[in-house]
Amino acid sequence: MINMENNEFAIVAKNISKTFHITEDSHNTVKQRLFNLFNSPKKKKVEVLKTVSLEIKKGECIGLLGRNGCGKSTLVKLLSGVYPIDTGYLKINGSTMLMNLGVGMSHALTARENIYISASVLGLRIREVDAIFDQIVEFAELKEFVDTKIKYYSSGMVARLGFSIAVNAGADIMFLDEIFAVGDMKFQEKAIKVFESSWIEGKTVILVSHSMDVIKKYCNRAIFMKNGEILFIGDAEKAIEMYTEDNH
Amino acid sequence: MLIRIVKDWIGRSNKLERLWLMAKIEFKLRYYENKLGLLWALIKPVSDIIIYYVAFEVIMKQGIPNFISFLFIGLIMWNFFVESTTGTVQILNTKKYLYEYTNMNKIEIYLSHILSNCIGFFFNLFMFSIFFYLFEKNSSGYSLHAFYFIPIFLNLLVIALAFSLILSNIYIIANDITQIWMVVTSIGFWLSPILFKLEVFRQALPGLDYINPLAGIIINARNVLLYQSEPDWGLFFFDWGYAIVLLLVGLLLLNKLGSKAAEKL
Repeated sequence: MINMENNEFAIVAKNISKTFHITEDSHNTVKQRLFNLFNSPKKKKVEVLKTVSLEIKKGECIGLLGRNGCGKSTLVKLLSGVYPIDTGYLKINGSTMLMNLGVGMSHALTARENIYISASVLGLRIREVDAIFDQIVEFAELKEFVDTKIKYYSSGMVARLGFSIAVNAGADIMFLDEIFAVGDMKFQEKAIKVFESSWIEGKTVILVSHSMDVIKKYCNRAIFMKNGEILFIGDAEKAIEMYTEDNH
Repeated sequence: MLIRIVKDWIGRSNKLERLWLMAKIEFKLRYYENKLGLLWALIKPVSDIIIYYVAFEVIMKQGIPNFISFLFIGLIMWNFFVESTTGTVQILNTKKYLYEYTNMNKIEIYLSHILSNCIGFFFNLFMFSIFFYLFEKNSSGYSLHAFYFIPIFLNLLVIALAFSLILSNIYIIANDITQIWMVVTSIGFWLSPILFKLEVFRQALPGLDYINPLAGIIINARNVLLYQSEPDWGLFFFDWGYAIVLLLVGLLLLNKLGSKAAEKL
């Protein structure tokens, strides 16, 4: 039974939730904590994600829709294992990568070092990185700047590098947050081309986007969220309809 | 059972490769961004040795035989501990880019940092050995007892990892732990038998060689490398116990506080 679950699903979440405790004046030092021992700061509870359950199959491309502040980013961070869950059960089968405009790279390192570290974190062996290294650099259009520290890069260059690493190295489960906004038009076209080629086949993709066309094009199923709750999981068309209605 | 799990872990994943890769890059960042390179790692203990030699041997005439070797081994072990811990207090903040976008296991970040410190340490140990063999008067070199240095150094490694875990996770809820730890280590330096004759140290501060885990480790390192004798077994086992308990506390904190690093920092 458990094995079947392992083989079929990339992510299984049961009754997960997340509440942030926000303090007005943060006591972030030992000194402040000692001086305010009997005067604990007022805590405000913000229930960002109410109890939700969902299952994402391996190899599926699922959309995530909802207005700003509805808890999309929090859900993505929980499902990718970046944030711990407060309640419930969460099983993630494989490496995850969360991708938005700034992907995890150190500005103190060169592009070469970042490529090796990121790809290794995503589960590749060194010789596998060697094999795709040129491909990554070429796709990011950064050939002359491979050994430059990325703190000297423009934000567009950093984003392209991040996108290129993700596309070429890729984790088992990819969370793509508005990625089609990366780079100039030429690069966007390239990105879309990759997306339309065989790249997403065999990968589990959770696609966060405000663009209905993107969701409609790539996803069969979609999740619609409102006020920290999942109101609908299923047919993408239906989810888009609900989202459009919510915007009016 | 345990061997199978470890074998499985190493065989199936690229974790060891990754640790080495990250350690190498960390090491390069620290030492090769300047022209002196690896010599930087040596400059600190050498300049310390000169200062303390003048103070304790030339002026105060403590009369410790082979004082330079005595200082050298004590200082490189102490510096390894301090660099491994002060360098990692803010590690969850500085290395956020590694775990913020993936479900990478945070313990790897610590291990790679400490591994990169090991490269510097072994370079210094190598220089110490050269000094000990070539320049130290009345030195008869290492004996077979020197092999005991391996578990003693591992003990130091575990203690350094444990403190790194504890401090960096406290950092999440109390940022000023960085400054507090700097004070603690500078006091700890004077409460360790780095500069003093062991008998004088034990007489003046009885029991401290047990309370301060670094004291026992330095005492035993000298026993096996300089004095060709067995380690003080009481201290040896006590410090291993110390290290394991602290490591468990550190892992517990990583689990409790560290898992929230992405949202709190």
